[in-house]
Amino acid sequence: MKLFAALLSHYRRHPLQLLALAAMMVVASALWTGVSHLTSQARASLGQSERAVAERAQVERVDGMPVTVADFVALRRAGHCVMPWLEVERPASTGRVVGIDPLAAACFGQPAESYRGWDQPLNGESFLDIREAKNLAAAGDGARATLSLLLSGPPGQPALPEAYRRAPFSLGPDTGELGESFLLNLDALGVLVLLITALLLRSVHQLGLAQRRDSFALLHRFGVPEPAVRRALVIEIVLLAAVCVVPGVALGRLLAGGLGSGFGQALESLFDVPLFAGQGSSWLTPVLTMMAVVLAVCLADQLHFSGRQVIRRLAGQGYRVTLLTLVAGLALAFVSSSLALTFVAIALVFAGAGVLAPGLISELARRCGRASAAPLTRWQCAEIGVLARRLALPLVALQFALAMVLAVQALVTVFEATFDDWLSQRLAADYFIEVPAGADSLAAADWLETQSPLAGSGRWHRVVRGRAILPAVDGWPGQTVDLFALGPVSNMLGTWRLQAAIDAPWEAFSRGQGIMVNEQLARRRQLSVGDSLTLALAGERWTAPVLAVYPDYGRPAGEVLIHAAQLPAGFRPDGESFAISPDTADLDAVTSGLKRVWQTETLSLRDNGRIRALADSVFEQTFLLTRSMTVLTLILAAMALLIMGWVFFTTRVWYYRLLAVWGMGPREVAGQLVRLSVTLTMSIAVLALPLGIWLTWALVHRVNPQAFGWSLPMAVYPEFWFELAGLSLIIGLSIAALMRRQLRQPAAMPVSASGLSGGER
Amino acid sequence: MQDELLRVRGLAKHFDSGTERVPVLSDIDLTLGGGGSLALMGRSGSGKSTLLNLLCGLEQPDAGVISVCGELFNGRQPRNGRGDSRRWADLRCRHIGVVFQEANLMPAMSLLDNVRLRAGLAGQDPDDCSAWLERLEIGELAGRYPDQVSGGQRQRAALAMVFAMQPALVLADEPTGSLDRHTADDVADELFRLQAKTGCALILATHDAELAARCEQRLDLAHTAPA
Ligand SMILES: Nc1ncnc2c1ncn2[C@@H]1O[C@H](COP(=O)(O)OP(=O)(O)OP(=O)(O)O)[C@@H](O)[C@H]1O
Ligand SMILES: [Mg+2]
Repeated sequence: MKLFAALLSHYRRHPLQLLALAAMMVVASALWTGVSHLTSQARASLGQSERAVAERAQVERVDGMPVTVADFVALRRAGHCVMPWLEVERPASTGRVVGIDPLAAACFGQPAESYRGWDQPLNGESFLDIREAKNLAAAGDGARATLSLLLSGPPGQPALPEAYRRAPFSLGPDTGELGESFLLNLDALGVLVLLITALLLRSVHQLGLAQRRDSFALLHRFGVPEPAVRRALVIEIVLLAAVCVVPGVALGRLLAGGLGSGFGQALESLFDVPLFAGQGSSWLTPVLTMMAVVLAVCLADQLHFSGRQVIRRLAGQGYRVTLLTLVAGLALAFVSSSLALTFVAIALVFAGAGVLAPGLISELARRCGRASAAPLTRWQCAEIGVLARRLALPLVALQFALAMVLAVQALVTVFEATFDDWLSQRLAADYFIEVPAGADSLAAADWLETQSPLAGSGRWHRVVRGRAILPAVDGWPGQTVDLFALGPVSNMLGTWRLQAAIDAPWEAFSRGQGIMVNEQLARRRQLSVGDSLTLALAGERWTAPVLAVYPDYGRPAGEVLIHAAQLPAGFRPDGESFAISPDTADLDAVTSGLKRVWQTETLSLRDNGRIRALADSVFEQTFLLTRSMTVLTLILAAMALLIMGWVFFTTRVWYYRLLAVWGMGPREVAGQLVRLSVTLTMSIAVLALPLGIWLTWALVHRVNPQAFGWSLPMAVYPEFWFELAGLSLIIGLSIAALMRRQLRQPAAMPVSASGLSGGER
Repeated sequence: MQDELLRVRGLAKHFDSGTERVPVLSDIDLTLGGGGSLALMGRSGSGKSTLLNLLCGLEQPDAGVISVCGELFNGRQPRNGRGDSRRWADLRCRHIGVVFQEANLMPAMSLLDNVRLRAGLAGQDPDDCSAWLERLEIGELAGRYPDQVSGGQRQRAALAMVFAMQPALVLADEPTGSLDRHTADDVADELFRLQAKTGCALILATHDAELAARCEQRLDLAHTAPA
């Protein structure tokens, strides 16, 4: 224990170094916990929004009567997986509740999973056990209950009994792979955050070790064997980690909780949407992960694994190996065809860029110094070189953090825009009214055309959904695609963002001069605007030019859009609906009119405005959480650089004081400090820029297509680069301010001039 | 002795360590002519370094008057801080050279670059600097970094830096304190040789009686130290 006392005596003299290491452990644990907490929250809210708007299937009776419990029993007896869904409409103050039967849900694939998704309040709806919902409905108070039967499994398997048919049941459309893709990117970024925290921890630990080299040498001279010292150091780190990680994790949870509820409150007041309770992930995972990271990072040098020599030898090769790593990563990202390889490529590029960046700065500084005749410039360059080498790890962490923030910003903005476009495309109209099976949609269209506020207003269109066959031609195999027939062409279609189009595509479309295809089909068949495509509809072949390609936001099916007037008489649609934005027209008048035309009591009406508000709010929350997580990382990296710069400077302050001894005024010395630290942080920002852009590219153009088979648009945001540059400037100025504070106190002459403390070059 | 370069009257200095007031110097008087030399003696902690710091404006006195190189600093006056510190900085830049026991060189620059930096700041021609290294017999080490040469060679380089600025006054704080006897003698020889040759004044803080004996005057702080 004498040895321990001797080792710890260093920290008794330099308590701030111990504090820096402990603070770094606490903050790193907090950051990563916060990030993983926020990620899981983002995942949960995205998942919730998906579940909320996902299209499910339900069972309808062919005779148009509402389904009853007897139907449920009949269907269950016939072996179909159906689940009762009892919607209880209550007076406005209490809102709507939905009763579901978790037992019946058991056949819906993952029973626990699917039930858990429904047990949280969403848009004022609470999910209850069906028994409680039934009781509520029975209690009266103007409550009205509607029973639906949800159906599991793909269409047509197994065939429903004669008296029933399958119908879509949804609160909105499916975000599908768009959400999945976003989450994959979030995961990639979570890994990056872990990497950055690891780098920061290592940097603080290494600095502490370097500062204690003198004491170690002394102990060695006193005859303490090296393994004993090493063992003591391991114990020290384990103890420190044990003390620091748990409070860090607690802090992270607190932080994420605070942020989450902050956003939640903002959202609640903005959208009147309650916050989705964050999934309270366990303590164990973050604590264990952080412990493992801390120990791995701090004790990496102690381990005698066999690959170490190889790594040493490679590292000895210096920049040639690094450059090779970088180039290999870049090349691999280009040619890789699998997701795993692409992730390897990203890792290689980051490793290469990370090792190269401080080296590049110090090499550039060396060249600048050589080229300059002014002694002071040569000194500045030499100091920049020293700083770049000594602060390499926190600088690289800052570079990674900046690159990550850049990529996330671009990605989130792209996703936001894409979600928005996708919502506009899917929810262009205010309302969707489903045409009941067997009802005459043309009669309804004629009726709508006679209604004064709607007639010729372009505020409604009919949608006919069905299938079309693309016959095998020109070497392309035959395939079935989804067919959408629209007509009349309403104003709402004009808001669609087309990827490629002839001039005035919708005019040509409404004249029946061609068709439109989605991105998937265009890619798969290598179709571009002007090419013609042959379709087989109801047995008739029909060839038309492609007027436009529209984005599909991840929907994997090929789609063809034709004008409704083009449909052959024999075409059998899968479903029909009307998209209506009644605007000034009275919706009730429209629905009651349609009910009269179709002679039906119930009308399936979807309120897109409501869905859109809901989807918007959950997406907003997800994006806010994502942004906040990256900003947190950046703050940590900046703080680490501050701490490291400050600790390093305590050891070197003597040499900066020499400038004052040599007759430089305090302001000039401060000016030199500002120049040094700002140059350093700005060059790191400059080096982070290509890395960030490349990361965006890799995520958008490589990871996404490989994971999902479609790509997002790639965009860069130069205004944001300037924001980051401003941030780097602030970090640099803060470091300079900290260093200047130390200069005011008298500096001790370094104990030995052999360069053990602060005399590095 | 030539005309007066340095005159100190009634200089006093204390430090506050925590709540305790540590008096270090009181009522110091001294006078030094251009080209003269003075040895500061005294046991460890007697305030030699503190006095040297006061004489080049790196510390501010509690009381007393310092007149150096034609500039007058009155410690009793309420701080007219900025003006004083500017004048001190100018003096240190061009006329007062300081040599410490160790760590006189910027670690990230070669010996030659260090000398050029110091001379450049003093407004001297940086091109003469290798000549100064030659004169101190370390010309062939000009391109080496401070950690690549011996302690004695580093102190020689420090002397080259100071004399390259062509100072009127050199303040040396145990310049040979961390060297072995033989090397210390060599470095001291260089110091006195260059002082004589350039005609600057020298104040040398040392524990070494032999070294002190080579100076014209001697001030023993043990005798002036406050009780
Ligand atoms: N910044 C300071 N704060 C508090 N006390 C100080 C400070 N600097 C010096 N002292 C004290 O002032 C006294 C004189 O210190 P100084 O460094 O001048 O002694 P010295 O004669 O140079 O000693 P040595 O021969 O060991 O170098 C000492 O007691 C020292 O502890
Ligand atoms: Mg001293």
